[in-house]
Amino acid sequence: MAAEAEAEEEVRQEVEAAVSVYGDDCRVMCGFPPHIVVHVRPRTADDSSQQFVELFLGIKTSSQYPKEPPHVYAVESKGLDENRQVYLISSIQNKAKELSCYPMLVILCEEAVEILSNMNHPAGDCPLCLYPLVQEDKDGSALPFMKLMSCYHCFHSDCIMRWWKWLQNDDTDLKKSSAAVTTEDLSSSAKNHSVSQHKGLCPVCRKVFDEKDIEHVRDLLGANTSQLASLTIDLDKDEKELLHSESEKSRREKFASLFNLQQERNGLIEPKKDLSIQPGMYIPRPPSAPTAAEGDTIDDSCEDTTTSTSGTDPHETNSTATTKPNSNSGNRRRHRPHASRRQPHGQPVRQQWQRKGGDTSQQ
Amino acid sequence: MTSSSSPSRKALSKIACNRLQKELAEWQMSPPSGFKYRVSDNLQRWVIEVTGAAGTLYAGETYQLQVDFPEHYPMEAPQVIFLNPAPMHPHIYSNGHICLDILYDSWSPAMTVSSVCISILSMLSSSPAKQRPQDNDRYVRNCRNGRSPKETRWWFHDDKV
Repeated sequence: MAAEAEAEEEVRQEVEAAVSVYGDDCRVMCGFPPHIVVHVRPRTADDSSQQFVELFLGIKTSSQYPKEPPHVYAVESKGLDENRQVYLISSIQNKAKELSCYPMLVILCEEAVEILSNMNHPAGDCPLCLYPLVQEDKDGSALPFMKLMSCYHCFHSDCIMRWWKWLQNDDTDLKKSSAAVTTEDLSSSAKNHSVSQHKGLCPVCRKVFDEKDIEHVRDLLGANTSQLASLTIDLDKDEKELLHSESEKSRREKFASLFNLQQERNGLIEPKKDLSIQPGMYIPRPPSAPTAAEGDTIDDSCEDTTTSTSGTDPHETNSTATTKPNSNSGNRRRHRPHASRRQPHGQPVRQQWQRKGGDTSQQ
Repeated sequence: MTSSSSPSRKALSKIACNRLQKELAEWQMSPPSGFKYRVSDNLQRWVIEVTGAAGTLYAGETYQLQVDFPEHYPMEAPQVIFLNPAPMHPHIYSNGHICLDILYDSWSPAMTVSSVCISILSMLSSSPAKQRPQDNDRYVRNCRNGRSPKETRWWFHDDKV
């Protein structure tokens, strides 16, 4: 009897140990026989931007523990496909069999951390283009990709931005479109409803995500001038037509006039002329001069660049318009060299956008 | 009926082409069971043969699905219809139009031809009775002149079938 009580006391102490090691990451579902769920993350020195997988590991013991190994299962995981999850769980299960008769709760969790750390890379293809997420080119460069913080689904940055812009455009198109055949009369309101829900849902699992995830990618891509250039080249004829279409023109004019109005009323905080450039800073396009004929051609080309990549967000368009009325060719000459040098400075941003939403001090 | 008329549409974008070639390669490696697609030179229109699953109302019957890809696939959903004769099903109109949310409002670019096919087969398999939708005649009348089902504002009646 005394031996049994002693054994129970030992097991209870083991649970306490697990709680003190994992803190809030360890939930005790039952004290005895122990049943715990531990939030296991790969070792990334607390840098969530480097984290691509995670697991809520369930360990449920019987009253015969530790003689009888516990049941190990996945409560929830992110970034792990079925194969990797099966491998992970069976590895931990095997470890549990090896260790039978010994206290093993913390050891099993550490085993999970170890395996997760080895698996900590995004796997498989981009769900949007179906090409591998991480594909080293011959010259060692790879397409940038991003992950949604809510579900850890990863996409090529270009792919997710293309989709996001499509959604924004789609919304406006739908509002304009006139009535079509309906299968039921009430349907129009239902349709609008579902469209607005479309926003910010992961294309893979439809989990709601924070639009910040997208904004960070936009900033990242926006800061990279070479990327802009290559995107412009990729535009096919139709897309160029769209950029020069009447609706696009009138939209730009509308924002230009709005901007002028705001400027007249002193409603704008304008960028300083002697702007110094800090690493990771977002810089509006330098002022340009539509007066000189030569300036016009340059203008057109950069107009394309900005519009094609910045989407239809009114805020973005405003920054395009910002540069227009303030025509000053001297200014442009002074700023242009900075713009091309911006690229290397863009890098540090990458670290910021993947931070978890919690610590706002990062922003 | 609508099956023969194709919507006037632009050629596939480069991105759509790349994506479809990838899907085609994967389909050839492992086609979804119950489906046959013989590769044609037209990447933009796939005609796929569906065989009803064993133990369902459509066991052994074959139907043809026509999948047309828009210029901006996969941002935009493909247009999927049954060629004549369309299976008798409470969500399939006699002109081949299919009332299935993922083909319209709930389309996501992470879906593929293969996943759409599987959804359609599962919709067939769970059918309780071989019958047309209640508003079949009215709807088909409104769809004359080869209107695409994507122009319809669908009202998804129920999620049981």
